Amino acid sequence: MTTGFQGIPAAIDLIHILDTIEVPIVFVRRDFVIACFNKAAADGLGLSAADVGRTYRDVSVLARLPRLEQQCRQVIADGVEWRADFRDGDRWFVVRISPCSIGDRPISGTVLTFTNVTAFRASTDQAIYEREFTKAILNTVADPLVVVSPDLRIQSGNRAFYTTFSVSRDETQGVPLDEVGNGAFAFRTLRAQFEEMLAGRHAFQPVEVEHVFPRKGQRTLILGAHPLSVPGHSQRRVLVTFQDITARKQAEAAKDLRSEKELRRSEAFLTEGQRLSLTGTFSWKVATDEITWSEQLYRIYEFEVGMPVTLELIRTRVHPEDVSLLEKMKMVDQARGGSNDFEWQYRLLMPDHSIKYMHAVAHATRDRDGQLEYIAAVQDVTVRRISEEALTRARTELAHVARATTLGTLTASIAHEVNQPLSGIITNASTCLRMLDADPPNVDGARETVRRTIRDADRASDVITRLRALFGRKSTTTESLDLNEATREVIALSLSELQGSGVILRADLGDDLPLVTGDRVQLQQVILNLLRNAADAMSGIDDRPKQLVIRTERVDDDGVCLSVQDAGVGFAPEDIDRMFDAFYTTKSGGMGIGLSVSRSIIERHRGRLWAARNDDQGATFAFSIPCAPDTKPRPAVIEPEHAMGKP
Amino acid sequence: MAKRSLVSVVDDDESVRESLPDLLREFGFEAKAFASAEEFLASGYLEQTRCLILDIAMPGMSGQDLQEELTRRRQKIPIVFITATGDETVRPLVLERGAVECLFKPFSEKALLGALNAALSVA
Repeated sequence: MTTGFQGIPAAIDLIHILDTIEVPIVFVRRDFVIACFNKAAADGLGLSAADVGRTYRDVSVLARLPRLEQQCRQVIADGVEWRADFRDGDRWFVVRISPCSIGDRPISGTVLTFTNVTAFRASTDQAIYEREFTKAILNTVADPLVVVSPDLRIQSGNRAFYTTFSVSRDETQGVPLDEVGNGAFAFRTLRAQFEEMLAGRHAFQPVEVEHVFPRKGQRTLILGAHPLSVPGHSQRRVLVTFQDITARKQAEAAKDLRSEKELRRSEAFLTEGQRLSLTGTFSWKVATDEITWSEQLYRIYEFEVGMPVTLELIRTRVHPEDVSLLEKMKMVDQARGGSNDFEWQYRLLMPDHSIKYMHAVAHATRDRDGQLEYIAAVQDVTVRRISEEALTRARTELAHVARATTLGTLTASIAHEVNQPLSGIITNASTCLRMLDADPPNVDGARETVRRTIRDADRASDVITRLRALFGRKSTTTESLDLNEATREVIALSLSELQGSGVILRADLGDDLPLVTGDRVQLQQVILNLLRNAADAMSGIDDRPKQLVIRTERVDDDGVCLSVQDAGVGFAPEDIDRMFDAFYTTKSGGMGIGLSVSRSIIERHRGRLWAARNDDQGATFAFSIPCAPDTKPRPAVIEPEHAMGKP
Repeated sequence: MAKRSLVSVVDDDESVRESLPDLLREFGFEAKAFASAEEFLASGYLEQTRCLILDIAMPGMSGQDLQEELTRRRQKIPIVFITATGDETVRPLVLERGAVECLFKPFSEKALLGALNAALSVA
């Protein structure tokens, strides 16, 4: 390398020194010919020994430097250094062009140094990018954010900060935070808290502040503060955050109000429901014996609301003959290991000796800890129970009245049946006496009248026998009986009454009837009742025969049916449902209980009683009851419609 | 000997139809028995009958029906009702409608004679 340097002590190996410098250095003469360069220029810019003596235009890297020639001339002319950034591919350099003179000679050229700033440039770019990126993010945050100095002076805020508080960046820059927003944040503890926080004693406790905004009205904000410190930097800043919780607060308030209202309403519903239904509830934690009663249950037991409930207390109310629900639960619990639902009925004996009837339903559950807990509903069914009892009493009375009414009719029938032969007996005896008293006595005539007297006496005796058959048994006996025979007895007893009413009775009794099981007298009462009803239905008929047909027949394979068909006034289709109700009657003199009692008798015989309107005139009342089990015919061939069951 | 008065008996009960005419004949009356009101009306003995002994409860026309029918036909036959029902309410009813007497079965010979005398004195 040719050295152009003069006056430098030879002892100093200048070139060697330059070569140790990592910054590429190139000497360019004023004629733009490259004089020399150091090792770094060869390594970093790709210059070679051949480049010495060439003009810069022939050296690619120098040729790429924009306006190099003009800049060099300027530097030589002014004697002042010039520098510029230079991008070469992906590398960045700071190029410094300095005037170069040796000794006191005029400037003979320029020295170009290339400081590689690629890494620095990249990190700066990255920092700028990151800063802009962060700024963009912060500006998208809806909540206002502002960075303040430790003495609360505003440094910068995000977009939300400026828009929310309707202030500009310029007017707030350096202004203490407690002076913006009309002093909304000038609360007493703000600065004290800042000091505590910055001293590292404790974190800033978020503060709820009310702020009235010009357009939005009053808003509730949560003000928070977080110290910002960057390692290696002593300067401290604080990020102040604002969170608008107005909507959330309103929603919560509304929700609280709503849920409270709902809760209150459902509580009111429950209480009212319990009051109306006379139902109380209680829970019982088995392990701890903790019992909770509803108000209504206190009212049912007639204890003061809120009294501690114990088994002993309950026992003072439960009827001595009954076991309380709780004790029942305990028994069940022990017997079955708990966890089952059950129902229980018991009575309460109140201090005034009145009785209350309780119906309880209990349900076992397990709480979160797996402990057994019973939830129970206890209903005061006293009123229902009393009315049920009254109803039963009324039914019994009605049945008695019905029986008495039927008996009254029977008595008349019996009287008629007995009086007829008695009348014959007396008449015959009177005739007989007269014939024997005659002169000469009419012995043959007397013999004939005596014969007739005996016959009439036999007839009276038959009536008594029939009555024995009808009433001589226990009233509740269930036996196998022949429905035809029972029917014939009823016909015999009521025939005169029916005939007296002008009724023409036809009996059509099936001859293959199986025996039925039942109470003979009760069934005969039903038959008698149906016959009387039929006769009554025809009492006002005078334009057609008062035809009455009583029929028995086998139905299906397992029952017998008895029907009574009249030609009377019939009934309206809408009456069919009410006809069997107690006290329903179409007869002015009737009590209307015959059919309801009849139906209950038939139902007790596992049968049914029904009514149908005849095609032409009148109605047919019928009942069917199952035949006695051992007389049920063996089904030889079951026809399909029988197997399906007839409607 | 004066012609005997005819007493007709209408009753569906056979023992009455057999026994009562015999007793009536012992009393000295002529007697005829009919099993129903219809049979009596069709018999042709209406004019001759001086007294009618009539059962109340009969199939078809009842005794009261026959009483009405005779009134309608202006046949003023004295009627003595007989009934086995023992229903006391029927007696004032038939007497009001012109019957001479209403006897409840079984009735005595004396009661029957009393009724017959009353009937024949009316006629």
